[in-house]
Amino acid sequence: MKVEEKKPETSQKDLKDAKEVKEVKDSDTLTFDDVKENVKSIEKGIQQKENRFLIRVMRTIFSIRKRLNDPILKRVINNYYTSQNAQVDKEFLLSFIDTQSSVAPMDTDEAYPKPELVPQSTTKSKSLLPEVDLYIHLLVLVFAIDRQKNNQGIDLAEKIVEKIMSQNRRTLDIIAARCYFFYTRIYEIVGKLDQIRFFLHSRLRTSVLRNDYEGTAVLINCLLRSYLHYNLYDQALKLVSKVTFPLHASNNEWARYLFYYGRIKAIQLEYTEAHKNLIQALRKAPQNEAVGFKQTVQKFAIVVELLLGEIPDKAIFRNPQLKKALQPYFQLTQAVRAGSLAKFNEVLDKFGEKFMKENTWTLIIRLRHNVIKTGVKIISLSYSKISLENIANKLHLDSAVDAEFIVAKAVRDGVIEANIDHEGGYVQTKDLTDVYSTLDPMKVFNQRIKFCLELRNQSVKAMRFPPKKYSEELETAEERRAREEEELEYAKEMADEDDDGFP
Amino acid sequence: MRKEAVDLYQKLTNEWNKKPQNFEKCLEYLTQLKIILSETGFIPTPGSPIDKREIHLARDVFEIGAQCSIAVGDIHGFERYISQLKTFYFDFQNEISESPFKYQLIGLNLLCLLARNRLSEFHTELELLNPHLIQTNIYIRHPVSLEQYLMEGSYNKVFLSKGNVPSPSYNYFMDILLKTIREEIASCMEGAYKKILFREAGHMLYFKKEEELVEFAKERKWVMASDNYFYFQQKQTDQENQNIPSNELVMQMIEYARELEIIV
Repeated sequence: MKVEEKKPETSQKDLKDAKEVKEVKDSDTLTFDDVKENVKSIEKGIQQKENRFLIRVMRTIFSIRKRLNDPILKRVINNYYTSQNAQVDKEFLLSFIDTQSSVAPMDTDEAYPKPELVPQSTTKSKSLLPEVDLYIHLLVLVFAIDRQKNNQGIDLAEKIVEKIMSQNRRTLDIIAARCYFFYTRIYEIVGKLDQIRFFLHSRLRTSVLRNDYEGTAVLINCLLRSYLHYNLYDQALKLVSKVTFPLHASNNEWARYLFYYGRIKAIQLEYTEAHKNLIQALRKAPQNEAVGFKQTVQKFAIVVELLLGEIPDKAIFRNPQLKKALQPYFQLTQAVRAGSLAKFNEVLDKFGEKFMKENTWTLIIRLRHNVIKTGVKIISLSYSKISLENIANKLHLDSAVDAEFIVAKAVRDGVIEANIDHEGGYVQTKDLTDVYSTLDPMKVFNQRIKFCLELRNQSVKAMRFPPKKYSEELETAEERRAREEEELEYAKEMADEDDDGFP
Repeated sequence: MRKEAVDLYQKLTNEWNKKPQNFEKCLEYLTQLKIILSETGFIPTPGSPIDKREIHLARDVFEIGAQCSIAVGDIHGFERYISQLKTFYFDFQNEISESPFKYQLIGLNLLCLLARNRLSEFHTELELLNPHLIQTNIYIRHPVSLEQYLMEGSYNKVFLSKGNVPSPSYNYFMDILLKTIREEIASCMEGAYKKILFREAGHMLYFKKEEELVEFAKERKWVMASDNYFYFQQKQTDQENQNIPSNELVMQMIEYARELEIIV
């Protein structure tokens, strides 16, 4: 539906060159260390009951995802699933890993001095925390999605969900939310998205009751996605009107929600509302990443803006990230702006299939009368008196009778100021009134001020503060150093991992 | 499946296929059938096995019901049948064979929404259909192109398309639609014309008889002058503009002040 996720480079390719093996090994070890670090973070988060740590771990999934490969996962699994009763899980997870192709050459190269044996002693006695268990499962699921092991992946996804349902721990919520996301994703890939709706609804009820805001947000979005995937706008609207989207949800979830909501509103002809939501979705989306998401939202935003009778800013089409994807929409905008039905039809013919695929087609055919309106407006600006016959010719209408009705409607709707003389068969435009003597400038000015204020309020709301900071005692110098270090690290992460992998 | 349901269904189809149909009798059978169907739980719930014969029967009953309620002019009844039929048309798409009446009834529903000016629902319904189908299926294309004419203002085309409806059952809603359109045209005429000849007005509104126009003009309070012209009062827009909407302005200013206060 949207831009597909980036496929990580396969490890086999890396292995072709013998010289690169060492580098590969280093990067593998780094990734492995990252995973280990994350597991520690999870444990820390659970001890201190701080969701912050867990959220951070979830943020790193996408950077780790790009680096995952068979040996790393094998090491991770071997490392953590050591106790006796975890053997079943271990076997199951290992079945996803392709030991034939990538590990075999490694072994011959002796690049891996059996790393599995090294850290065993530390974790042997402890049984695995459910959060860690779930985290590793999730990594394997993501890996399976990337390697297109879809049918196997579904089994795994089902198992993960089973694990989630059997536990009742609040610390699990954040990880569970991510799991739902990938659960939905894999069902979407195999085209069975409609089958899990019932399950998602029941999970949504539970998470609302448990005040699990992240889970609620993700589940609402998954459901909306599933409804919109099958064009069930009626049901989607009912869902939206019944639930309240959690205020504390992360920006990425908000962006998705606003996008879905905007789409529903656009279908229902509430363009102003739709436009507002789509623009906000764009703002909430990550700045540098998630290009596919932004392209899709932008497409809808352009069409809705055209439907509102406005012309989108040309700068949008020049944006290097969007330029190529928006090309058809640029031509569409030109057609509407020129008020030329012929050109509009041409664009429709040329890109019809593309528009249908992008779900904007039904919105775009509604533009037809906007094109005609613009045409009528242009004529009324340039002629003070013109026969209906000529209007019909200029606008490529079938007959003068058509033109008469269309112009009459335009006059009534306030598009143009004119009179029709029926006997004479011509249209006489009235002198233009000075716009500045009317209330219009005031209204437009008001609209803009409101927009700016809204923007400010939204940005204030979007600011994030660490929770429970207010009750903390003054920190010692040592604590401060630790905190500053952490913040620095956090800022760095924010910068290069703004991507939430919008699929 | 219960035997009496099958028997009743047989009777109903016999009655329905007779020409001319006896609607009262059909409705009677329908009521009985609906009771039986709701007792047996005609719409399967997820998990339970699907009896194809049962679903087929239920669907056919509702289809006849929908057509029957149009014939007697019961719009609400029609809407109820349609909402029940949608389950069969969309949710069981893969389980049962497609009904020959499917698109005709969907098209009718679209027309119904259009005639009652429920445009947002119209578009929501339209989204459920495949774009290619919208362009090619005659039953669907009819209401879709009507909507387009309405939006553009090509009202004459709407009147023309009354002549070539894809099925006689469409006529019922077409008549409602034409009535609405006549009002639309009249309001356009008031805005766009200074004066119009009596005969021409009749033309534009597609009245066949003069009496109809006289009646219509009376309703809209059009006055005919002695020279057989209707004269329309142009709206006085200039006057409105001269008054400053003080209330509105004050409200706006207070709001700005409040917001500024928050920021500072």
